[in-house]
Amino acid sequence: MKIGIPKGLLYYKYHPFFMTFFTELGAETIVSEDTNKSILDLGVKHCVDEACMPVKVFHGHVASLRDKCDAILIPRIMQIRKREYICPKFCGLPEMVVYNIPDLPAVISEPIYATDDKRLYEWAKEAGRLVTRDRNTIRRAFEKAVSVQNEYDIGINTLSYEMKVALAGHPYNIYDSYSNMNIVRKLNALGIGIITEEFVDEEEVDSEVGKLFKRPFWTFARNTYGFLATAYEKKLCDGVIYISSFACGIDSVLIELVKERIGDFPFMVLKIDEHTGEAGVNTRIEAFVDMLERRKTYEDNVPSYGQCVPCSQGSF
Amino acid sequence: MKITFPHMGNVYLAVKALFDGLGIEYVIPPKNSKKTLEIGSLHSPEEICLPYKIMIGNYVQAAEMGADTVLLTGSCGPCRFGEYCEMQMNLLNKLGHDFKFIVIDAPGDIGVSELFNRIAEISTKSRMSKHKKLQCVKYALDVINLTDKLDAKAHWLAGYERKREECKKLLHASKRDAARCSNPKEMIKLLKDYEKKFDNVELDLDKDPVKIAIIGEIYTVIEPFSNLYIEDKLMSYGVSTRRELTPSWWVKNMVMSPTRLNSLDLKRHSKEYLRLEIGGHARECIGEAVKAYEDGLDGAIQIFPMGCMPEIVSKAILPRISKDKNFPIMTLVVDEMTGEAGYVTRIEAFLDLLERRKEHVLSGS
Ligand code: SF4
Ligand code: SF4
Repeated sequence: MKIGIPKGLLYYKYHPFFMTFFTELGAETIVSEDTNKSILDLGVKHCVDEACMPVKVFHGHVASLRDKCDAILIPRIMQIRKREYICPKFCGLPEMVVYNIPDLPAVISEPIYATDDKRLYEWAKEAGRLVTRDRNTIRRAFEKAVSVQNEYDIGINTLSYEMKVALAGHPYNIYDSYSNMNIVRKLNALGIGIITEEFVDEEEVDSEVGKLFKRPFWTFARNTYGFLATAYEKKLCDGVIYISSFACGIDSVLIELVKERIGDFPFMVLKIDEHTGEAGVNTRIEAFVDMLERRKTYEDNVPSYGQCVPCSQGSF
Repeated sequence: MKITFPHMGNVYLAVKALFDGLGIEYVIPPKNSKKTLEIGSLHSPEEICLPYKIMIGNYVQAAEMGADTVLLTGSCGPCRFGEYCEMQMNLLNKLGHDFKFIVIDAPGDIGVSELFNRIAEISTKSRMSKHKKLQCVKYALDVINLTDKLDAKAHWLAGYERKREECKKLLHASKRDAARCSNPKEMIKLLKDYEKKFDNVELDLDKDPVKIAIIGEIYTVIEPFSNLYIEDKLMSYGVSTRRELTPSWWVKNMVMSPTRLNSLDLKRHSKEYLRLEIGGHARECIGEAVKAYEDGLDGAIQIFPMGCMPEIVSKAILPRISKDKNFPIMTLVVDEMTGEAGYVTRIEAFLDLLERRKEHVLSGS
């Protein structure tokens, strides 16, 4: 049995779990290639127009695996934290894919509630049945997968640069370097380090989020908001770059909440979709970095901390 | 305190009845118009969904008329609607409107006692006895139910009327007159009278009009301005339409949802294509499409605002339903740029298609 695993959406965060689980069950796994032009094109072809790019890219990954495996994993992630949700498109992902890409092999699309191990195991039981009938094997594979996942750290926190940008956005926008046009490398080349949301403590996130009138009910929103508010408060960075997908409903809300919180702290929203040109992105990043540098020199020269630093060029 | 609230279809009539009954001062924002949307778009983040923008327009216009308190509903569903209130509060504060906000949330989220506190905040302004207050709530519910009923009648009978646009005119008259009533009892009586008037509309029951279900995002299908008055247009064409998502459906659904017995019918119909709740009303949309087919309607029109996350998922599923069941479904996506001309062309083309299909069946070829 060969299981296809699309390298899209939350693959970047949870691949250790899925890979370990299926391998331990005794299945063979095949992961789609890194996102590239032909995957994106496949996705655009098979996905509804109105969808955001990450969902289109995911469609492309699935389509690229179509003839290469016996079953494809389409994680229907419903919940990661209690009383919070993921985007509606995650919940309906299998339907979007299955009804639009013809001739697919079997799909593994049981809902995933990752709020605790017990509920997650419900998924494992269903998904595992496709490979083996043996309950014990499933149990063992599951436990191994959970522990491997727990050991796994992603996140970037570069220490060797003088200036640092908080890089925010959904995990797939940050870690899919094709989609974000290699932003991490671009920034490093300009002498800018990066910190991502994984490097802020949960307690700090909670305390920031707790100050909102309403508890955000999207896990993405909670994480990113908490991260940026903390990074700003604790001066973990010199500015914020937010990678956002066009037509992402969650981003449209989140960006407003963040702006509200960090005032005129340097903040750049980089919108990406399949039509975004690399040249334009380069120009914007360079301009932003320039501004950060100017700001830094200015602050260094005028050590009147606590006083109002005029930074009308602060927010892009 | 002068309360205001956003427009959504006929809801303003029910709220009017409620506040008239309670003797609380309120401001009904001017009817939604280009102006409302312009104001809303000017102040709102560009990529936010259309309902948000229209609502901001409502608040600003109401503020100009002296409103100082805003009633918001923020249910914590997995969609943006739940996040609206925080953003709208920030935005209005920034605009310098010194609003007070009363947020009505689902009790599961803020706790029952907090919900009562918030409601009490409104009703303490009224000196009535508790019993009388409850009576007023009941009146408001009656108004919602009656106005929805009138809508449904007019939309359906429009396909059968002998005198063109009679239903449409009657429906508009009913709303105009209801808005002039000064107490809830009077309004209810008037609406009931109109209900009878619909029974007297002369019908041609031999007609076999084109019948369409209107499905999609709840605000957009309910608020006529946001869907460019599609139901009015279809009434003028002599088409019968049906819509399940109404304010009264919403009230019922919200009250029932903790028991999971809400909208069983639509859930059952959506099962084959979308088993799970994904947020917004995507599941209802799928259920309605299937139900419309089973009930023998000729087609369905899905409407949603640009960028609407749950409805994009539905849109991805509908073509399959359409193909499986040989049932035409058209999708209209609206935003502030939607032009009337192109919109009408698409509707007319769809009606053409449905009519041709009907003739085909009749002529037996
Ligand atoms: S969260 Fe945003 S970017 Fe991610 S799938 Fe949903 S709409 Fe797309
Ligand atoms: S259902 Fe659609 S229109 Fe309504 S809040 Fe969600 S995204 Fe916006």
